[in-house]
Amino acid sequence: MPLRVTGLSHNTAAPVEVRERLSFTTPRALDDALAVLRAALAPRGGECVLLSTCNRTELYVAAPEDPDREEMAALLLAARGIAPSEMGDWLPFLEDQAGCRAVEHLFRVTAGLESMVLGENDIVRQVKEAFAKAANAGTCGPTLNPLFHEALRVAKRARTEMNLSHGAFSIGHAAAQLAENIHGSLAGRTVLLLGAGAMSETTARHLAAAGANQVLVANRTYDRAVALAESLNGRAIHYDDFVKYLAVADIVIASTAAPHTVVHRPMVEAAMRERSRRRPLFLIDIAVPRDVDADVGEVGEVFLFNIDDLGAIVEEEAAERRRRAVKAEALIREEALAWSARMRAALVAAPLVRSVRAKHHAIVQEGLARLRAELPHLAEADWARIEAFATAIENRIAHDPTIKIKEYAERAAAAASAMPGGGAADDLEAKMRTAREIFGLEEGWESGQSAATTAATATPRRGE
Amino acid sequence: MSGSATLLGLSMLCYLLGAVSLGANLFLRRPWLLAAGRTFAVLAALLHGGAIGLRCVEVRHAPFTTPAESLSLLAWIVCLLYLGMEALWRLSAAGPFALGLSFLLVLIGAGLSGAGGPPGSQYAELLAERAISLHILATVAAIGAFALAFSCAALYLTQHHILKSKNGLAWVKRLPPLATVESAGFLLVAIGFPLLTLGILSGLVRAGEGGLPPGWQTDGKTLLAFVVWGVYAAYLVARLGLNWPPVRTAYILIAGLALSLLLFLVPSAAHQFAR
Repeated sequence: MPLRVTGLSHNTAAPVEVRERLSFTTPRALDDALAVLRAALAPRGGECVLLSTCNRTELYVAAPEDPDREEMAALLLAARGIAPSEMGDWLPFLEDQAGCRAVEHLFRVTAGLESMVLGENDIVRQVKEAFAKAANAGTCGPTLNPLFHEALRVAKRARTEMNLSHGAFSIGHAAAQLAENIHGSLAGRTVLLLGAGAMSETTARHLAAAGANQVLVANRTYDRAVALAESLNGRAIHYDDFVKYLAVADIVIASTAAPHTVVHRPMVEAAMRERSRRRPLFLIDIAVPRDVDADVGEVGEVFLFNIDDLGAIVEEEAAERRRRAVKAEALIREEALAWSARMRAALVAAPLVRSVRAKHHAIVQEGLARLRAELPHLAEADWARIEAFATAIENRIAHDPTIKIKEYAERAAAAASAMPGGGAADDLEAKMRTAREIFGLEEGWESGQSAATTAATATPRRGE
Repeated sequence: MSGSATLLGLSMLCYLLGAVSLGANLFLRRPWLLAAGRTFAVLAALLHGGAIGLRCVEVRHAPFTTPAESLSLLAWIVCLLYLGMEALWRLSAAGPFALGLSFLLVLIGAGLSGAGGPPGSQYAELLAERAISLHILATVAAIGAFALAFSCAALYLTQHHILKSKNGLAWVKRLPPLATVESAGFLLVAIGFPLLTLGILSGLVRAGEGGLPPGWQTDGKTLLAFVVWGVYAAYLVARLGLNWPPVRTAYILIAGLALSLLLFLVPSAAHQFAR
């Protein structure tokens, strides 16, 4: 069945206020939407998957009668409960792709090439969840099931072979990676937060995810420190005491709102004298204006990184990912073409395979009917064995031609995809014609044959 | 060509391929290069172990009567210790150095034996003495451990420099964490130092039995052994007792390897095996 996708994302013309109106943020909203879509598509034999993330809402539809752009938009708006009268307002924001381009788009989305943060991993989970939801709702079928499995496989290949998901994606991520480069495993390491702002919380969460499980929070407003410490499973300390804790901390995240520096070289030197010299101290200064004097970084075994240093790492990683993404795009295009070729091949080969199998089946049934007429004395148990034997032979005979027809079709479709207009389609057509001739599948054989078979099988069985 | 020589040649090839694969992996970061490097390292260790075993069977004595043989033994020990480091800490960044050093040691050994080293059989009787075998084995193993401790120190200093200067930060994640290389270097010295002590003590026991050339007490190799022992003892005291920062103790390990190699290669009348 032909594939089509419609939707909007941060890459389309849709601003955030438009995107948020069309998002399905709660599981309930998604379930309701899938119910609406199933009611609309199931009678037509259609399938769908609805992908909704914070920056993207997309509807993938495979239906025997390829829906056009307006129909797709109408389906998506209906799923969100938006009146059809608003269609005109939405159409300029919706992007629509069909066929091989839709396949390539799904592969790109799953590999993270369409994500706001190039190569991020979360999209894989979101695609998996969307697919699982659709499967549970019964809106996935023989076209979208294999397609989404293929999308996940291709995404994994692109990420693995092109290292798409490596490197730091954010300041917090970069800080966590640097901490691991300094301390090795972060398990059992102590993190001291100076200031309880959003940035320090995010960074601390990255460090906690990497294993740092002892968190101390110091903030001018003690209540805020307590609240943040509780959310991080840590301990609040009084801001004025933070200097004492420098000696026990392995990582310090400074992000106070102070207009001047609060961590000075003598403080850090004193802290380093109190601790083992083999224990380095990683200072992350993400405050603007800075919280840590620049000369603190000159103290032995103290590693000081400010927000610009971390930002430079993130940018460098992003540039590296962009370079790798170019290669990943080529790989994904190749995979999308191959998938589309296989689908086209299946479309061409399937009717012929069905005809070959139907003819074999008709011949066998006709023979069995004749035999029943000639051997009316045989018991039903004997007939069951004869029929099983005949079916086995029928399947055996049909096996090789079936495989060959599929192979011809796949090869020709792949050649046609690689070199459109190169004569591969004509070649496939000729081969399919030859196959029809060899198997005696000239036009109209089915009707004559089925009539004969019906007559033959209508012969009453013994005892009937 | 004898069986042991064939196996040694194959192991040399594996050392070279392993060093090149792991070196390329540092730059290109491809999982298949890492896997290839590790596979070559394991293959090299197996082939080289086979070569040494076969050599023992061929000459009917321990395989370190000639400089070529002792270099070969040192190369094998370096490779085995590297594989241990890989298993414990995933220190593949030390691979190019370790496998490259093993390759060079075997290559130099091949050059020395080609230049006509002494035939091994005449030392069979001497090597039957346990003290001599222990003396050589323990000293060679200690030098192998010190060589890898040097690579850890070099990695530490490189990583430390990048993190302090913030130049070449892209290399940070290609190198092992500071804490890991520091611990690895210490553990290697903690293995090598008692072995060197054992080597020196067994040498002294053998010397006490007599039969050595006069003046062995002032022999260059004998004196240098004590200097090397002192350097690594200083490292242990600095690290464990004086709480020196790792960046300073790393320089001791750098100096230690230079002295260890000198110990291995310095000519000596009292140490015929290293001639």
